[in-house]
Amino acid sequence: MISANNVQSWVDHHRGTESSEPEWLAKKRQAAIQSFTEVGLPTLRNEDWRYTSLRKVLNNEFSIETKLEAAEAAVPATGEFPRIVFVNGLLLESASTALSLDGVSTLSETLAENPMQLTEVFGTTVKDSLHGFVELNTAYAKEGYVISIGKNAVLDQPIEVLYLSLGDKIASHARNIINAEANSQLTVVERHLGANGNTYLNNSVTEIIAGDNAHVSHYKIHQESDNGTHIGGVLINQANGSNVTNHNVSLSGALVRNDIVANLNGQGAHTEMNGLVFGSGESHVDNFTEVNHHVANCTSDEYYKTVLDDNSRSVFRGRIVVAEDAQQTNADQQNNNLLLSKNAEADCKPQLEIYADDVKCSHGATVGQLDESSMFYLKSRGINHEDARALLTFAFANEVLERISIQSIKEELMTQLAGELLSGVDSVPK
Amino acid sequence: MLVIKDLHASVFGTPILKGLTLEVNPGEVHAIMGPNGAGKSTLSNVVAGREGYEITSGSIEYLGKDLTELETEERACEGIFLAFQYPVEIPGVSNMAMLKAAVNSMRKYRGQDEMTAGDFLKLIKEKAALVEMKQEFLKRSVNEGFSGGEKKRNEILQMAMLEPKLAFLDETDSGLDIDALKIVSSGVNALRSPDRAMVVVTHYQRLLDHIVPDFVHVLADGKIVKSGDKSLALELEEKGYGWIDGLNDEGIAEAS
Repeated sequence: MISANNVQSWVDHHRGTESSEPEWLAKKRQAAIQSFTEVGLPTLRNEDWRYTSLRKVLNNEFSIETKLEAAEAAVPATGEFPRIVFVNGLLLESASTALSLDGVSTLSETLAENPMQLTEVFGTTVKDSLHGFVELNTAYAKEGYVISIGKNAVLDQPIEVLYLSLGDKIASHARNIINAEANSQLTVVERHLGANGNTYLNNSVTEIIAGDNAHVSHYKIHQESDNGTHIGGVLINQANGSNVTNHNVSLSGALVRNDIVANLNGQGAHTEMNGLVFGSGESHVDNFTEVNHHVANCTSDEYYKTVLDDNSRSVFRGRIVVAEDAQQTNADQQNNNLLLSKNAEADCKPQLEIYADDVKCSHGATVGQLDESSMFYLKSRGINHEDARALLTFAFANEVLERISIQSIKEELMTQLAGELLSGVDSVPK
Repeated sequence: MLVIKDLHASVFGTPILKGLTLEVNPGEVHAIMGPNGAGKSTLSNVVAGREGYEITSGSIEYLGKDLTELETEERACEGIFLAFQYPVEIPGVSNMAMLKAAVNSMRKYRGQDEMTAGDFLKLIKEKAALVEMKQEFLKRSVNEGFSGGEKKRNEILQMAMLEPKLAFLDETDSGLDIDALKIVSSGVNALRSPDRAMVVVTHYQRLLDHIVPDFVHVLADGKIVKSGDKSLALELEEKGYGWIDGLNDEGIAEAS
């Protein structure tokens, strides 16, 4: 067992699990262990974690799953897209239909059969300044998906990746890699699903490397257990003219933290970050976003909305850095928070650092309640309080879901959101 | 139908209505005129049950019930409709979705089944024609980006859909050009019926050329100071408010 709040306990637990990995990787692992033992796990004293306490989840003891019991029955019915399924951090091969596709594999398989493919990729998006969980992931993650497609290749269907957390008190590290070479196109939908009641700690890092003019759409959808914790990183490097979109939707979970960092390293690159948080009960969702405009002529568009009910809490950090040479940058950031309960709390922190002088950067942040005049208007048409509240809340949140281009996923999320909000009002546009 | 007796009401603590008495019967159209600040909009909001509008004394009886005991949405379901002076824009909620929610909410209140999608579409097309509203407006967010005239037509469309027993039209003519005024008025006139009463609140006589009232009341300083038939409106137009007994010109703007 791992005493989660004890750094050495993580290191001790993993000792002896090193397999015969290539030397370049062993070196990276070793450096990450070194770094992890130095920086440790984040606490409220870290500025980047001051609104998010890990104390409760780190008071648990966790184990790491090493062998999978039959789990097929727990996998949601096959969807319309090819899939990769992980259960408690381990691959469920029988349900992973996408593995037959060219360029779609797992971390363990790639390291065993074709490690050279990752030499120039693994860890290249990770900045030194990120937190201990990323180091922990680099040190010990053994599994995850690897989607690596060559020049001009197009994956014509989205790949759906399911992470199921079925056991109680299980921790996992997933390391995922998307490597899209020049002019390629692909879409990956990560879904993080937790069986309710289970306490778990998932530590996931997805690296996205987009080559010249590559198009990558990446979805991260959290439908976590009410006791589940997810600490995740989506770390993106973009070359000339590339276009990367991240849709980050959190509908449940005890604690979800995502560090989403885009590095615009080539001119003409575009990043879009869309986020929707629906918080209820005691949930806490922290989205820590960062767009680094390193070079000129790039654009970024960030659109995050939060709806908080009950005692839920959210944190939004939106950092935009425009380097001295990044002239003609066009960056926009919006973060709107809607509080439905007096006990809910939204912390939001736009953070613009602009060192160039010929740029267009705009940002807006709002925290508010439902508009009284809109409520009165709807009620004066005979709509009861609950339904009026639901209609307005749905309308607020739906603007983010409208940006999703996969129709079936958009409709599924709208239906789920409406289900959380509505009692019989049919407002889901068809 | 509506019996208001010696009504005193405050808006966020400020007394506005100071002893208003009014009786409206089915089939009647009443016009309430008066200078700015007389309490015209307050009356509409009090009847609709808006938060912050507090009745300090007096009574409002509607169809034999004490109206003040009902929530805003219950009043609507009982057949009271308010056409807003400033219709609210609701981004993200389509006209269609709102009306569907409203129609079905009222049907539920009356113990009826929800309307089928087909019946609803048929009804809304028919009513939209009444105010010459194009289909595309039904799909757009409620009042968002609508012109002044489109907003007011949308109010009348809602009234037509919800078929109230008693409708308050609060300054429905404000912000309308003459063409829009004609469309809105003909929509309202089409909805006149022996079972339906209307209270038309207005600043100007010109609306009453199109919607001809049975009674005209002058509201000043929180109470009705004079009542008459439609000729009273014409007299007001000509002479202003100064000639009415009990009113002086002080603090009261002349109607233009």
